[in-house]
Amino acid sequence: MRPASSKLLTAGIFAVLSASIGLRAQDFKIAKYDVQVHGFGTQGYVKTNDNNWLTMNTSGDGSGAFTDAGLNLGSQITSNFRVGGQVYDRKLGKLGDWHPLLDWATGDYHPKPWLGFRAGKVKTVLGLYTDSQDMDFANTFALLPQSVYPIDLRDASIAHLGGDIYGKAKLGNNLGSVAYTAYGGRRSDNMHSGYPYLLSGIAGITLNSYGGPVFGGDFRWNTPVRGLTVGISRLNEMITGKGSYNGFLGIPAQPNYWEKSKHDWTNQYYGRLVKQKFHAESEYRRYLRYQTIFSGLSWVETDVRGWYVGGGYTVNKWLELGSYYSHYRIFPTGGAGVAASYPDAQTHDFDKAVTAKFIVNKYIYFKAEGHFMDGNGTALYPAGFYANVNPNGFANNTNAVVLRSGFSF
Amino acid sequence: MKKLLFAFLLVASVSIFVVQAHAQVIVIANNSVKANEVSKNDLKDVFTGASTSIGGGNVVPILLKAGTAHEEFLQAYIGKNDAAYRAGWRSLVFSGQGTMPKSLEGDAAVVEFVAHNAGAIGYIGKASPHEGVKVLAVK
Repeated sequence: MRPASSKLLTAGIFAVLSASIGLRAQDFKIAKYDVQVHGFGTQGYVKTNDNNWLTMNTSGDGSGAFTDAGLNLGSQITSNFRVGGQVYDRKLGKLGDWHPLLDWATGDYHPKPWLGFRAGKVKTVLGLYTDSQDMDFANTFALLPQSVYPIDLRDASIAHLGGDIYGKAKLGNNLGSVAYTAYGGRRSDNMHSGYPYLLSGIAGITLNSYGGPVFGGDFRWNTPVRGLTVGISRLNEMITGKGSYNGFLGIPAQPNYWEKSKHDWTNQYYGRLVKQKFHAESEYRRYLRYQTIFSGLSWVETDVRGWYVGGGYTVNKWLELGSYYSHYRIFPTGGAGVAASYPDAQTHDFDKAVTAKFIVNKYIYFKAEGHFMDGNGTALYPAGFYANVNPNGFANNTNAVVLRSGFSF
Repeated sequence: MKKLLFAFLLVASVSIFVVQAHAQVIVIANNSVKANEVSKNDLKDVFTGASTSIGGGNVVPILLKAGTAHEEFLQAYIGKNDAAYRAGWRSLVFSGQGTMPKSLEGDAAVVEFVAHNAGAIGYIGKASPHEGVKVLAVK
């Protein structure tokens, strides 16, 4: 494993090279087809006054282990058929760890406005921003509200291997338009993500696979009020994790450990208003997971409820300001090996954030953001604060500064 | 000296005003596009990737890379500056839901492309020659 400083240097060189190339989307031809190349990258720095956050060592001098990048190729084969793919890599503290992923790769056939088909590895439509959460350049905030879009759990819902049916239709009588997506497939988590990392720290479990069938849908209404969209999403899944358990919690070690969800679903409700220079949005997500753990010897239920209200204002072409309130609550229960109760600070994280986004040009920007968090949400499910990097326990509250710069072309 | 400077600034201001008053943009389409007019909302939907059709027929948006006509089109019909506009398209590209429209250098290149590609729709300065394409009225 390369030292952290050399990875930071690599990311910086990538950013500088991309800037020097001119940060323009590149086109070339394969046979008679135009192929477009696009990319994006970010580099961040996080400093907290207490608690190490998002698996980074943020409480000392702060951490720059906060880098990601994506490279995209696509071609419009005919007016109705498009193919493309994207590779993504990141370093978020101990997560990602420079293991590049196939982010998505699809064939997309769209014969009618109301009927289209995508197949391959497809980004999952769940709420406003699940499928675009990596597009930091398009967001006001350096970190999306973590109660609904936890960056450490990106892999849990970002994509599925399968297919989508989707479409849009205008409604009569000036009632706006509707859009729908229905999907099915399989989820397969990256082992360098938050949940496997959490289990390795608090339970002595090393996962080597985590995934299973998923299906769900999204329905949204672009209302007659221009700029106002409301919608609802549903995700159902049946997830199995496999690996080994070392006996850390007193239950005998299990070299062929497994865990399996019995009920595992997400409901998400959302609304967004965009009016000229102003945007406001709010979402509510409930994630209920009941699963058998320790190879059938115990069980756990985590009822995670998160919501946020936020918005932004474009002051001029160089400056955008924004703020949100993010509310996270977890209601954990479980059998053998699972704590009977948790202190209040471990069952919630209320986060108030303020942001300034500075747009240098159409390719480059940077953001400065403050977070004021009440609670640490550390009960039984990842919520940004991990025992692995906080061996002395957790303070109840955390303040943080997040700086993030990026480019896209 | 002050009077000279004032006069210069006055002339410059008037010149800017005159340029802006005369610079206008028109929407053009390939003759295969059946519609002769388009609503502002439909035009915005096509040029932001929210829709791929006008009047029931598939259309393909074509952009200008930069320039006065491009800026005026964005201001009049999209409500975003160029950076925000292209960021919106990139969101679709990076989530696998769209392909960035072709961007061309100058009105003549847009007219040439729109004239020879079925379903193409673009925008140019009002005063630019545009033989071989139809002009869509924006209502």
